[in-house]
Amino acid sequence: MSTSLIELKNVTMKFGGVTALGDVSFDVKEKEILGLIGPNGAGKTTVFNVITGVYQITSGEIIFDGKSLAGVKRYKITKRGVARTFQNIRLWGDMTALENVMTAADTHKKSGLVSGLFGFPISRREEKRDKARAQELLDFIGIGEYSDRLAKNLPYGVQRRLEIARAMGAEPKLLLLDEPAAGFNPAEKVELAATIRKIRDAGYTVLLIEHDMSLVMKVSDRVVVLDFGQKIADDSPRKVQDDPRVIEAYLGVPEDAS
Amino acid sequence: MFNLRDKGAEIWESQGRVGRVAIAVGAIAIVAALPFMGGTFLNTPVADYESVLVYPIAMFVLMAIGLNIVIGKSGLLDLGYVAFFAIGAYTMGLLGTKTDLNTWEILPIGIAMAMFSGIILGVPALKLRGDYLAIITLGFGEIVRIVALNLGALGRSEGIQGIPTPPGIFGIEYAFDSHRIYYWTLLILILLAIWMVRRLSARRAGRAWESIRQDEDAAELLGVPTFKYKVWAFVLGASVGGAAGVIYASKTLFIAPDNFTLQISILILACVVFGGMGNIWGVILGAVILGYLPDRIRFLSDARLLVFGLVLVLMMNLRPDGILPRKKREKAIVKKDAS
Repeated sequence: MSTSLIELKNVTMKFGGVTALGDVSFDVKEKEILGLIGPNGAGKTTVFNVITGVYQITSGEIIFDGKSLAGVKRYKITKRGVARTFQNIRLWGDMTALENVMTAADTHKKSGLVSGLFGFPISRREEKRDKARAQELLDFIGIGEYSDRLAKNLPYGVQRRLEIARAMGAEPKLLLLDEPAAGFNPAEKVELAATIRKIRDAGYTVLLIEHDMSLVMKVSDRVVVLDFGQKIADDSPRKVQDDPRVIEAYLGVPEDAS
Repeated sequence: MFNLRDKGAEIWESQGRVGRVAIAVGAIAIVAALPFMGGTFLNTPVADYESVLVYPIAMFVLMAIGLNIVIGKSGLLDLGYVAFFAIGAYTMGLLGTKTDLNTWEILPIGIAMAMFSGIILGVPALKLRGDYLAIITLGFGEIVRIVALNLGALGRSEGIQGIPTPPGIFGIEYAFDSHRIYYWTLLILILLAIWMVRRLSARRAGRAWESIRQDEDAAELLGVPTFKYKVWAFVLGASVGGAAGVIYASKTLFIAPDNFTLQISILILACVVFGGMGNIWGVILGAVILGYLPDRIRFLSDARLLVFGLVLVLMMNLRPDGILPRKKREKAIVKKDAS
């Protein structure tokens, strides 16, 4: 654990009078799995949205790979190496699983419209390579057999996994996973935990939002806890679990405590 | 329900290279021979059959293919498509009467003008989405017509007259009443447009458009430069419309703002939706039917537009995805461990 891949410095995000994120600072180190947890409405998904450029932050700074992300267009942020999944699945339903992954790789392609039109060798080579790469990713994530199926017809669990494969298709350094285990049964969660570790071992850095505590605690190297837009803890999973402020945020304070 | 599109795709995919070439050549031959079938049941009672083949049918097909890139592929609702048709036609009209350039020399200029106006319209308009985009394009279509109506250089309401016919090529002479020659010319342009769309659809651009149509935000967040692709869709759609306009002007020899009303935009949109948005064969079929039908049932005289409307309403109720809906068949899942 050494250098930070992404660093949020005093990030504040306000919507009118509502402060979704108040002065939040944390970083994700290279090749780390960082769990981001917090009760509903704590601002977890907002963190993803400010990193990926959906929202422009009110104040503060986000440094990715040594450079600020301020004002960078969304697809260019992806090109620099950030890709995400969505909490509510947002695959391109009318495309096959393979096409979903291939499309996400668009940002890194060199062949233009014209060479595609005339079938220049660069276009054909690229097409072939992308297809192979997409299939590899589907295999890697364990859904290779579904490559020719339309995304909308896939079983729920496969769709969730395809979301991850699609994000990896964009060749990111930092992978943002937004509740990848939502709706999974315990067995599927165990499998997913293994997959996330495998992704890290393949050289990706992972920022994980998840509600399932056992999953987060099991896979994360470090956990950041948000509550009402404030960071209340940032430590190893074991220490976070025992942090009174975290317990308070999740369970509330006993009436006689104060 | 029986799916004509899937049946067709199945036959196509079951063929080898030779079979496919044979099917394509056969289909082109049949379509090219249509002008000779005027004596059959295909004949249109009042209008001249061969001239109906040129306009509206072939012209509608070409424009519908162009509009399909914008609406069917990328999901951008364009209600002002007629503007590009008009720009192509007026380019032909102006250059054809004021300069020595002939139709074949003006054709690329007309296409370039249409593409350029596609950028002019697209860059500001495509920052908006959905309904707002539709309204801007609607306005653009009207602006182009009103400019033509008020600009002295474009002949105001009189339009431009005496536009030259194309010069002969390969010993084929174009006279204003040699409809079949124009029909074959348009057929070549249609084939070129089909080739372009099919090529692009199968590759990077097609997938990007598809992702934009289905979920633009997700596309952008996964690294698809959505704005660039949307402008490209507009520009390519415009190029086809412009080409149609050039040929139209040098066929009718006379153009006026009245030829380029909102009604044309709506009709072409109807062709796309009726035939099956996003599927090029559906769109072509839709344009053929909607171009042909009003003339075929002309014996109904005044009731024909009523019947035409009824067919549209019925059709959209029974098959809301169009006659030949967008492809999406799945290959059988091949399990790796299947024995």
